[in-house]
Amino acid sequence: MKLENEAALDNLIICHQCYTLHQEVPIKDGSKACCSECGGILYWYDTTLIDKGLALSITGFIFFAMANFFPLVQIEILGHEQFITIPKTIFSLLDNGFYIVGLLCMFLIFIFPLMIFMINMILFALLKLKRGEQWTKDLLILLAHITPWSMPDIFLISILVALVKLIGYAQIHIGIAFYSLIVFVLIDLYIVKRVHISEIWMLRKRIVWEESKA
Amino acid sequence: MIEIDEKKLIPCPICSAVNIDKGKKNTCRRCGSAIYHHTSFSTEKSWAFLITAIIAYIPANIYPMLITNTFGAHDGSTILGGVVLLWEHGSYPIAMVIFFASIMIPVIKFLILFYLLISVKYPIGKDKKVDKHKLYYITEVIGPWSMIDVFVVAILAALIHLSNISIVAGTAATAFAISVFFTLLAAHAFDETLIQENRNL
Ligand SMILES: [Zn+2]
Ligand SMILES: [Zn+2]
Repeated sequence: MKLENEAALDNLIICHQCYTLHQEVPIKDGSKACCSECGGILYWYDTTLIDKGLALSITGFIFFAMANFFPLVQIEILGHEQFITIPKTIFSLLDNGFYIVGLLCMFLIFIFPLMIFMINMILFALLKLKRGEQWTKDLLILLAHITPWSMPDIFLISILVALVKLIGYAQIHIGIAFYSLIVFVLIDLYIVKRVHISEIWMLRKRIVWEESKA
Repeated sequence: MIEIDEKKLIPCPICSAVNIDKGKKNTCRRCGSAIYHHTSFSTEKSWAFLITAIIAYIPANIYPMLITNTFGAHDGSTILGGVVLLWEHGSYPIAMVIFFASIMIPVIKFLILFYLLISVKYPIGKDKKVDKHKLYYITEVIGPWSMIDVFVVAILAALIHLSNISIVAGTAATAFAISVFFTLLAAHAFDETLIQENRNL
């Protein structure tokens, strides 16, 4: 295989699922390119990616804040009312001496999801303003490191499992935070599915930075 | 013009940029991350994490995951005990979910990682058309779901703490969380570029 120079490697892409080498081809706006071997998505081409990403990360951030401030579920058991919030779940573990599980939960369901949405907000804002060439690079690297460790979706399913276990023992009232968490998880899943980190790198390459113009 | 061997192209694990494998020390040309490949200790780190995870999985199954205190009586249940109890109570879907998340997924992950780590060093199943990249991808996707039981215990413990009835997490919760954590670390530490089969046609 012959290439012009090392930068021409940017036109190549290796499938994340099956490791097959592909040549990048121009595709229609809003469509995706799939792997010919395994059918996995290679990349999307979307000219509205920055605006979409910015809007979604701000919306997600608001819903995440709501999911943390309000009660997730409220139960009535033996005449007593009890409720939980996400921070309360974490602190109850720490209070009972479960430091390892408590800290792990704090990172997996609170710190990392929060960080991902804050990074996305800053990242897309910088890309839109065409500023911060170095900053966007550092943020993208950080994002790639923490993305596998964010588990709000798994926590949501866990709440459902816990509630089903309680059916028959207690009366259950679903709180606002639970619905906020559902919206947050849906946005999170959409971003993970639609906005691959490698696409932001490709997008970043096409940007003419304001700093270098001046 | 430069001539490249297609078999020497590897993706960056952080930004997925395609890089030319330069032997011992590779730095990604786009993000600067280190791409470990062909070093003398290519699988040791992953092995160490995997063994720690398997060791932690033993107490996770022996000690109680969840302790229910009702009117002064303590009642602990292990992971498997909890599944059996749910099954007997007729909560089949929940019993299945917990069984898959806490028993099937960790064991499948141990076995796949075990197989991958051995097979990249010794030619086991080299001609047998086993899609190792697919196996690795499966471990990546299913791995985090084994945290379900830990989260469920955390939620129940935070929700039910009356003087007469309370639920507290057991020792197994810590052991299990450690086991899941190290399995995830072992999977991330595994160098996918060591899989030599079906590379770049
Ligand atoms: Zn593929
Ligand atoms: Zn890179």
